[in-house]
Amino acid sequence: MSKHSALNTFGRSGNPAFTRNFENAETFSQTERMTLDGAVNKTAILLALCFAGAFAGWNVPALAMPGLIIGTILAFVTIFRSPAKAGSTAPFYAAFEGMALGGITVFAEMQYPGIGIQAIGLTFGILASLLFCYKSGIIKPTENFRLMIFSATMGIALLYLVSFIMSFFGSGIGFIHSNGFFGIGFSIFVVGIAALNLVLDFDFIEEGADKGLPKYMEWYGAFSLMVTLVWLYIEILRLLMKLRSR
Amino acid sequence: MNAVFFGILTILSLFIFMNLSKIKASKKQMDRDDRINWSGKRRPNVRQNRDGSKIIEGSAEEVDDDAQK
Repeated sequence: MSKHSALNTFGRSGNPAFTRNFENAETFSQTERMTLDGAVNKTAILLALCFAGAFAGWNVPALAMPGLIIGTILAFVTIFRSPAKAGSTAPFYAAFEGMALGGITVFAEMQYPGIGIQAIGLTFGILASLLFCYKSGIIKPTENFRLMIFSATMGIALLYLVSFIMSFFGSGIGFIHSNGFFGIGFSIFVVGIAALNLVLDFDFIEEGADKGLPKYMEWYGAFSLMVTLVWLYIEILRLLMKLRSR
Repeated sequence: MNAVFFGILTILSLFIFMNLSKIKASKKQMDRDDRINWSGKRRPNVRQNRDGSKIIEGSAEEVDDDAQK
């Protein structure tokens, strides 16, 4: 028994959704279990819905802000309230986030024509290359790797939150949005961390299919991959905008 | 030209993703002792000695020399 009561209650991972499902994996029948094929097919469905949403957002850019707000709320609901119901929340998340991305891309395209397709190409290019690196064992995610990526992600989230709050008082953290040396360096760092989060998603899906988690975790795995892809796309778009504005 | 290149990159990457992700990861990736423990369960601290005998941590008992005599 650990001297820390939280470790005794939840195990080493603080996320009860993961712990509970991995521990009860043996109790599900073969047809109710998560498979790699199922997770990939569900990712394809979410990607298709995201593209459909993006098409709507591209044609009606006013949908961007409601799409972003509703998508963010749905993401928090899926993560913290009901991972088991990811099958009903994740498709709506993908569609609404798609609307937001479509609208954001229109604004970026107005300033820098051709930037949207560059960002899409780079996002999927990174996805495919990291998947190859993971499957072949070139990148090996370990506990330390997870800790490092998780800490960096939380640090970036905190920095964005502080910057957002400061913007209400007419201030901000300048270098985050600047197109100078530090601004571009920061964006490259954030793109790197977002990309390495994909490796964690691949490992979670692979391990889940290997251990035979319940079927609904296919949706949860696909959803977590979508969240990372959306973040990666936005960061690549920001990086390209900074580079083009120089 | 720019759009054609990135368009092809997108389609090619999606094709690779859809096919490659259905294949199980290599043994080099899966058969490792330092894999991420997503379940949160602690692995038993069993290590192998040089002579093949096992050292089990956390099960040490106090040895009373007088009692053994």
